[in-house]
Amino acid sequence: MLFRVIDKNEVPSLVRGFAAHYEVVGPVERNGGFAFDEVGSDPSRLRVDYDTTLLPPKKYLFPPKAELFTYDTVNNEVKDIDIPVVPRVLFGLHSCDINAINRLDAVFMASDFPDPYYRAQREATMIVGIDCTPNDHCFCNLWGTDEVTQGYDLFLHDLGDRYLVSILSVTAAEILAVATSARPASPKDSIDFQEKARAFKNSFSSGPAVYELPILMDAFYNDGLWDELGDRCLSCTACSMVCPTCYCFNMVDKLDAGGRSGARLRLWDSCCSPSFALVAGGHNFRPTAASRVRNRFYHKFLGYLSKYGNTLCTGCGRCERACKAHISPRVVIQGLQHKAVQSDAAAQGEGGRS
Amino acid sequence: MAGKKVFGLNQINPASHALEHKEAAKVAVFGLASDFGCQVQMTNIERELLDVLGMFELVYWQLVSSAPLPEDFDIAIIEGAVCTQEHVETLQWIRERAKVVIAIGACAVTGGIPGLARGNVDDFAKRVYGDVPASCGSMASPRPVSDIIAVDFTVPGCPIEPLELVAVLQRALMGGNPEAGGRSMCGDCRLNEDVCFFERGRICLGLVTRAGCGAPCIKLGYPCNGCRGLAASANLDSARDIVAGYGLDVADFDARLQIFNKAGQDSSRS
Repeated sequence: MLFRVIDKNEVPSLVRGFAAHYEVVGPVERNGGFAFDEVGSDPSRLRVDYDTTLLPPKKYLFPPKAELFTYDTVNNEVKDIDIPVVPRVLFGLHSCDINAINRLDAVFMASDFPDPYYRAQREATMIVGIDCTPNDHCFCNLWGTDEVTQGYDLFLHDLGDRYLVSILSVTAAEILAVATSARPASPKDSIDFQEKARAFKNSFSSGPAVYELPILMDAFYNDGLWDELGDRCLSCTACSMVCPTCYCFNMVDKLDAGGRSGARLRLWDSCCSPSFALVAGGHNFRPTAASRVRNRFYHKFLGYLSKYGNTLCTGCGRCERACKAHISPRVVIQGLQHKAVQSDAAAQGEGGRS
Repeated sequence: MAGKKVFGLNQINPASHALEHKEAAKVAVFGLASDFGCQVQMTNIERELLDVLGMFELVYWQLVSSAPLPEDFDIAIIEGAVCTQEHVETLQWIRERAKVVIAIGACAVTGGIPGLARGNVDDFAKRVYGDVPASCGSMASPRPVSDIIAVDFTVPGCPIEPLELVAVLQRALMGGNPEAGGRSMCGDCRLNEDVCFFERGRICLGLVTRAGCGAPCIKLGYPCNGCRGLAASANLDSARDIVAGYGLDVADFDARLQIFNKAGQDSSRS
């Protein structure tokens, strides 16, 4: 790793430096919130002070709706497989979202069945991270995803009037050198950075401490907690739509109106959708909202962890905002911990743990 | 990749086809109590319509042709709510002949706007007509089509999204099942990067309404009015708690829900 320092007013110049070679996407204002959008043509739209975005940057690597190939139904053959790739810089991503992309990379790139569509776009994508200011819904600190150590090309650490830039890629370093007057970090820059990092760690709203979550998940698999949450769930799938790590999809064949040709589409799906586990013949493996909510959190906290070594949640807080029924990772963690205390009390009442 | 064989439509088991393919399936379009808006919607997709109709033989559609009602047809597309005894008999007559029945539009699917007169049809008739003319027929409490006969496919909405009908016709022709769904709408708004109306202090029926339209009204700045009917998974108790939690009027929420849900639910809804 390498550090350089740039002044804050050099950000538009850095964006233009990238824009000469790449499409540049960053946070802009939209509908009273923020959304990732193309900013290379007009860096003044970039809002590096955003708190969070409506959808995560995942949409640029794993689009909500992707045409995988087209086919001819008359001759029964595949017509065209087009893997669209846009050389792109995702500018201004927070730690939670870069950590989320690292989780997706593990699934789509490093797994036994790498996904050619994801991989092609990911390899053509650079990431520039930036410090954030947590809002009330942020809980990345619970998972340690308030810091990111890989997966980005540059990371801009806020030092007030300037950024300390962590550099992980040669290409990005060259663009930084050409587009800005980046200078080596001074001892004062390093000291300021350490103080800033300490202040950042203390800036989160208090939340539950996470301890032994996999054991709690197992212990309370059949607990009424899931029914309580299921009773509230609207089965609207908002949680998955805004999630930076959800990667389930559905495959749909869309025929043209005359039925002579068609396209195979990949669409975002959600395990909270009532039809997600519906199979041919009409059986639904998860017919109740309670079973679907439980499945969602089991995969987040246990299933993914056992395969990839991480929790499939980076604490970005989007689902907590999106869920009108107040179902969120923090609610589940608190609920499980409450159940643990209750069950310990009951065991004590019976004269000790069994 | 030309020439590479994949599993396409030809591999579908012919036994699963609802219709025989030897000759073009005959389609008849019927209107019950409605404003014909959904039928007009069908004419609004001229380009696709010509392609779709290439797959069918259109034998009856009063809106576009004066051809008389035939005895023989395969697919019946029905718009409108059931509001008279004659409607009931028409539906029974249709069901005896049609291999596939498709109900289109809120009126046919949930009873829709005519359904507001559910349970109170005599009062409504008097208010509208004074002396009710004989040509109104023997009026009955408004109902969705699925209250009278089995419905194979539904295309909900007021009006329908005509391309959704095209997709349903393709399924009917090729032996597909109705699309599985069941979810309510909020996920679509998040996907559109629209900000929730509740966060702006306004009631929106998307919480419990059947998804699938892509939430165009919300994109245009109007809260969902529930025209697609309740989602199969609609959680009304939770939705009412949410409305109350935002300090909004639960009675108002319930009253708005009546507009498209008073007469009943699509029993085949997904």
